[in-house]
Amino acid sequence: MHRTELAKFFKENLFIANLKARRKDAAIAELLDLFVAEKYIRNRDIVLEMLHQRETLGSTGIGKGVAIPHGRTTAASEVLIAFGKTETGIEFDAIDDKPVHLFFMVIAPPNDEGNVYLPILGSLVTILNEKSNRDRLLKVENYADFIALVKGE
Amino acid sequence: MIKKDLELLVSLQDIDLMAEEVGEMEKLGFSVSGYGELKKAREELAASISKPLVFRYERLRAKLKRAIVPVKNDICLGCFLRQPTSIGVKGREDEEIFTCENCGRMLYWLD
Repeated sequence: MHRTELAKFFKENLFIANLKARRKDAAIAELLDLFVAEKYIRNRDIVLEMLHQRETLGSTGIGKGVAIPHGRTTAASEVLIAFGKTETGIEFDAIDDKPVHLFFMVIAPPNDEGNVYLPILGSLVTILNEKSNRDRLLKVENYADFIALVKGE
Repeated sequence: MIKKDLELLVSLQDIDLMAEEVGEMEKLGFSVSGYGELKKAREELAASISKPLVFRYERLRAKLKRAIVPVKNDICLGCFLRQPTSIGVKGREDEEIFTCENCGRMLYWLD
């Protein structure tokens, strides 16, 4: 997926430059609450349960300070991505056991138009595999800078 | 009770959706080492829902892939047919489980 296409799935109201959370569960809840506050999902408990089950399958902490909690849920109607970061880092059971600083939460409906869910995850993994992108993301303080980076500008 | 059953079914389908894409997740580099635990959680959840409802869910899933679909702005997101307003009013109250008149999937109102 082209990065300008990927950028369409982010929204300014799903962006947190400084997460308050200090634990894994709290970080997931804080990001999920952005979707709830904006009424992008109907039932917080159902989606929280889905995200919890996803972590049961295996931590979405993919290493190098990055986590991508994600899942399809019947309680969502469109694919959206929330972003949050923290300087302090959060223990997330990541595959390299290192604390996580960058969080991308991807929520998708059971059927998504154009089947974009898996390509979105693939694009995020590709972008985040590059150290220069991770380093820039750690420094973003506002949505404009963030989305410019996502677009590859 | 009906509302609770529908929500449990939604969670069951969410796990099934996850299980369907385990292979793709692994290819992308995500850990899926807990697949056994996920299957166990799925079994426990299914056991907590009434058997006829789970049977109905499984039958729909086998036939239509997605047994429950969201409804947004009165549109069934399984077949994209507009639902009658009268059903929407009742459906939002979750007093019973409604199915789409066109595709037959169970409906879950999002608004």
